[in-house]
Amino acid sequence: MSLLEVSDLSVAYGDLVAVRQVSFAVDEGAVFVLLGANGAGKTTILRAISGLVPARSGRIFADGRDLQGSAPNQVARAGIAHVPEGRQIFANLSVGDNLSVSYLAERTEAPMTAALDAVFQLFPRLAERRRQLGGTLSGGEQQMLAIGRALMNFPKLLMLDEPSLGLSPVLADLVFERLATIRALGTTILLVEQNATCLELATDGIILANGEVALAGGRDSLRDSEFVRRAYLGI
Amino acid sequence: MSSIETTMLPVLQAVLSGILVGGVYGLLSIGLSLAFGVMRIVNFAHGDLVMYGMYVGVVASTLLGIDPLLALPASFVLMAILGALQYRIVFRRFVGHTTLNQLLAAIGLGLALQMAAQLVFGVDARSAPSMFAGSYDLVGPFFFARAQIVAFLVAGVATIAVELLLRKTQWGKAVRAVADNIEAAEIVGLRSQRINLTAFALSCGLAGIAGTIMVTYYPTDPTKGFTLMPIAIIATTIGGLGSVGGAFLGGIFCGVIQQTTAMLWNSALQDVPLYFLLLVFIAYRPTGLFGQRSE
Ligand SMILES: Nc1ncnc2c1ncn2[C@@H]1O[C@H](COP(=O)(O)OP(=O)(O)OP(=O)(O)O)[C@@H](O)[C@H]1O
Ligand SMILES: [Mg+2]
Repeated sequence: MSLLEVSDLSVAYGDLVAVRQVSFAVDEGAVFVLLGANGAGKTTILRAISGLVPARSGRIFADGRDLQGSAPNQVARAGIAHVPEGRQIFANLSVGDNLSVSYLAERTEAPMTAALDAVFQLFPRLAERRRQLGGTLSGGEQQMLAIGRALMNFPKLLMLDEPSLGLSPVLADLVFERLATIRALGTTILLVEQNATCLELATDGIILANGEVALAGGRDSLRDSEFVRRAYLGI
Repeated sequence: MSSIETTMLPVLQAVLSGILVGGVYGLLSIGLSLAFGVMRIVNFAHGDLVMYGMYVGVVASTLLGIDPLLALPASFVLMAILGALQYRIVFRRFVGHTTLNQLLAAIGLGLALQMAAQLVFGVDARSAPSMFAGSYDLVGPFFFARAQIVAFLVAGVATIAVELLLRKTQWGKAVRAVADNIEAAEIVGLRSQRINLTAFALSCGLAGIAGTIMVTYYPTDPTKGFTLMPIAIIATTIGGLGSVGGAFLGGIFCGVIQQTTAMLWNSALQDVPLYFLLLVFIAYRPTGLFGQRSE
């Protein structure tokens, strides 16, 4: 059974249908990518999974459990963490408080210190800036914090919405390197990106165009597809 | 005695009394500030909960024959429960932005509370002296009503407790996270509705405490809460909306203005400069009131 199963998902904002009949499944241990240009509907899909926007039709199952009608906090408590577009860290809370407030004692047996240690090991920079207000961090540090925050409850599935957006190539590389580590530690990843370079990390995924699935498959078949060549690599 | 001393002493006395009275204004403003800072709710019914807190003191003293100060915990709990009910029934749907509908709902609720108080307690002014009533303390050339000193201490302790609760506890961090970004709070698993409910209940519980200590030196009637609202609004506005310590200092500022006005001008007009300040704020700093949050 897949960890996450999305079938025939459609989402609309008023009359505008942003996502149309999208289906995909994320297996345990995968790095699944949702690739697509601006406005393709990537963010909308993640928001629908998290319960932040209602689906017009379709079903979303996590671990065999129907997420239909779940509040966002229930989705999070079911082990699905979301690193949102634009980071959305708590600007008026310190780095340490951003992390500790995201730890839910009832979700895991590990103590908060274990979660903090794990995050600080991934991003030592956050440990150095523990007392700094979230809003005063640099863009890259905010991204690290948003990822760290999402890891505080040892999620089964980590969803990231364009984590490399606005980062220097060096920092973007660092983020992807950390994603590889997170995956190696046993967390399944659902990664939204515009940039096809993330395919290196991927196991499989889909390409979205205008809210519909244009292509689905394993990493290699996506990378070698006409679609990616034309749209992303400029060949 | 030099002439400077004879004119300055009464003014200083008024300032010091103002600080004592203002501490309680601070306490009633903190609740208002909390509801606004966390949920963007301007609770015009807040003053009416203070009024109910005053009647808790009256009931304790006249019906049960116990000191109103001993009723403080009960007052906190009762008003917190009343607040939680208000949140569930009315304010839940207005979280996030202050709207005209929200203001009207709060005003309507306040009027309903006032009328209920009138039915139950009548329109006459009532008071509930504590064991400290009628005692005065002399400090150098100044004298203070002991009931007001006690009230100030209670207000100060409650303020510090709220500040610590918000800064240090997991619950307080969750409240601040929800205030900061409710969507982000939800996606890390925080139950924002439940957290807002408890924060709102706390804000109303503080109104109860403020009322019960106030009635030990200041009589109440069903309109008392409404007449206290301008003070609370000015205090929160001056103190920076959403800031607990700021609201407390804002309350002290209001107390000082009020008492010095009463001393230098006329005690019947003691609130006039405050109303004037409120108008100035609404005219020139409306964003301070309903717009951006100043930290
Ligand atoms: N809240 C909203 N109200 C109305 N339309 C919206 C809303 N959010 C998104 N849309 C529309 O839905 C479509 C898909 O948007 P979405 O944000 O999902 O795209 P995206 O793939 O994440 O794009 P990007 O790469 O630029 O982030 C777009 O046409 C967008 O304008
Ligand atoms: Mg997007």
